[in-house]
Amino acid sequence: MPTIRRVVPALCVALLAAACNRGGDASAKPTVALVVKTLNNQFFIDMEAGAKAAADSLGLELVVQAPEREIDVERQMQIVENLIQRKVKVLLLVPNGSKEIVPAVLKANAAGIPVVAVDTRIDAATLAAAGATVASFIGSDNEDGGRMAGAFLVEKLGGNALVAVLEGVPGHETADARLRGFRTALASAPGMKIVASQPANMERDQAFNVTQNILQSNPGITALFACNDVMALGALAAIAAAKRTGSITVVGFDAQDDARKAIAQHRMGATIAQNPREMGRMAVITASRLIRGERVPAEQPVAISLVR
Amino acid sequence: MIARRTLRRIIAGREAGTTLGLLVLCIALWIATPFFATAANLSNVAEQSAIVGVIAIGMTFVILTGGIDLSVGSLVALAGVVIGGALQRGWPVSGAVGAGLLAGVAAGAVNGLMITRGRLPPFIATLGMMSVARGGALMLSDGRPISGFPDPLRVIATGNLLGVPAPVVLLLALYFVAYLVLTRTVVGRYIYAIGGNEEATVLAGVDVRFHKTVVYAISGLSAAVCAVLLVARLDSAQPIAGIGYELDAIAAVVIGGTSLLGGSGSVIGTLIGALIMSVLRNGLNLLGVSSYLQQVAIGAVIIVAVLIDMALRRRVQRSIR
Repeated sequence: MPTIRRVVPALCVALLAAACNRGGDASAKPTVALVVKTLNNQFFIDMEAGAKAAADSLGLELVVQAPEREIDVERQMQIVENLIQRKVKVLLLVPNGSKEIVPAVLKANAAGIPVVAVDTRIDAATLAAAGATVASFIGSDNEDGGRMAGAFLVEKLGGNALVAVLEGVPGHETADARLRGFRTALASAPGMKIVASQPANMERDQAFNVTQNILQSNPGITALFACNDVMALGALAAIAAAKRTGSITVVGFDAQDDARKAIAQHRMGATIAQNPREMGRMAVITASRLIRGERVPAEQPVAISLVR
Repeated sequence: MIARRTLRRIIAGREAGTTLGLLVLCIALWIATPFFATAANLSNVAEQSAIVGVIAIGMTFVILTGGIDLSVGSLVALAGVVIGGALQRGWPVSGAVGAGLLAGVAAGAVNGLMITRGRLPPFIATLGMMSVARGGALMLSDGRPISGFPDPLRVIATGNLLGVPAPVVLLLALYFVAYLVLTRTVVGRYIYAIGGNEEATVLAGVDVRFHKTVVYAISGLSAAVCAVLLVARLDSAQPIAGIGYELDAIAAVVIGGTSLLGGSGSVIGTLIGALIMSVLRNGLNLLGVSSYLQQVAIGAVIIVAVLIDMALRRRVQRSIR
């Protein structure tokens, strides 16, 4: 059987090579883990870059992991459990589910690993009920950002417009907070009417389809708010496909490079800059302080700003 | 008795390739990282394999008949939301779990009826159910996760029996029952017979329609059991839970050596297949491998595992001839 004679030794050699290549674990540097929501969103790739740079300068080993999909809480929990076994010194966590991740936080606490929440808060009431603790929260006030986005649209359209909204994953804290802020800002302008508000799960292709559908049912919209730039870019593509570029002011969130480009080309109205690089940097600095046994502030705000 | 015979069958039989794969993988990880072969980590791996492992039981039954069930991921969400909603309305844990299991069985039975009475191909019927159940879960929950459940439910995820985590005990018990059903009962024989040659089984006087419907109901039930585990583990019922689980379950079944054409395979193989997938994911996490490379590695292992399995089996067949 020639196939098996070739496949089995090849596999053995590959595994042996992997087994010998265990340098990462043997190094003496303390390991810090950063677990983000997904690595197919530029926001988290920027966060990773900021964290890596800080880890290099502080002499820390950084492990970055994420589930394949932003909505997969269970896989994120598995990753956290596995990293606890790897005995990382600090866990920097961007939770996929603010409440659902709490059992994993509890496990980290039990193993003596401090947890730092980054970007998205871990639900305080659920933490308290489970008896789990988070060492610090590093992130922006998403509700504030949502208000900024709303205020921009009110000003830009003179307080009179039909508005469409692309929501994030239903029930997830980050997008919910942005939405709350956005709705608050619009409530002060009675001429601004939200005629459609649909979830597109923070994904570009879903945002494209949902926007296409909204354009069919509400052709009169002149403003669109998406809870992240990934969805805003999907919406822009759908608007372009409907040959309506320029007639609808799109506002996103996160200030990704592609969104900044679109704003510079006047295809997009505005976005909210959150600075994920700074979050990653601050998270790793916080981790190194925790390793040295220093106290860290419970809240570490990262500045937020409107890009237009 | 059964245990010894099972052991002999694993060594000599069709699970040899996958068992070898699992062993090689474990040894490689044991050498590669000091964090792998610890009691706590191995217990984690077993617990993590329970989620997909449970759905893969029903999937094995379905695939043995030559069918496929794409709806299981959505049924996990639907059953989970039923459980969460019932608990929220003040139902006792047993009642809520019962309602969830019933929802899974009912949806599975509808799959079976669409396939047997409606003569829809399993791929189409369950593809439709995948969307219907997902939508139903979103409708029932208004698209929001339901969280914060009483302790008796959480025990399913957090409890242990003699140090073995409760989900693992449940997983092993279910596999044992499934093994007995497939190897020691008439229904089990019929399932293999349907997958081997459906027409001949009909001609032999077996009520194939009934047995196929039962098989899809079993698949719905195993998805619902998975929902119980997931809700207990996350302390939350999510309408968007379980997306992509059907593919993980199919992968576990196929890695385990069950033929997608039906008629040959075993639940023991599936258990090993599910273990291979969680050991691999666990190992890649422990080694700090990049998330992108992990997906490549998992795909590659699925392909290599099936290649080895097929090659071994061809050799066994040749030696028999």
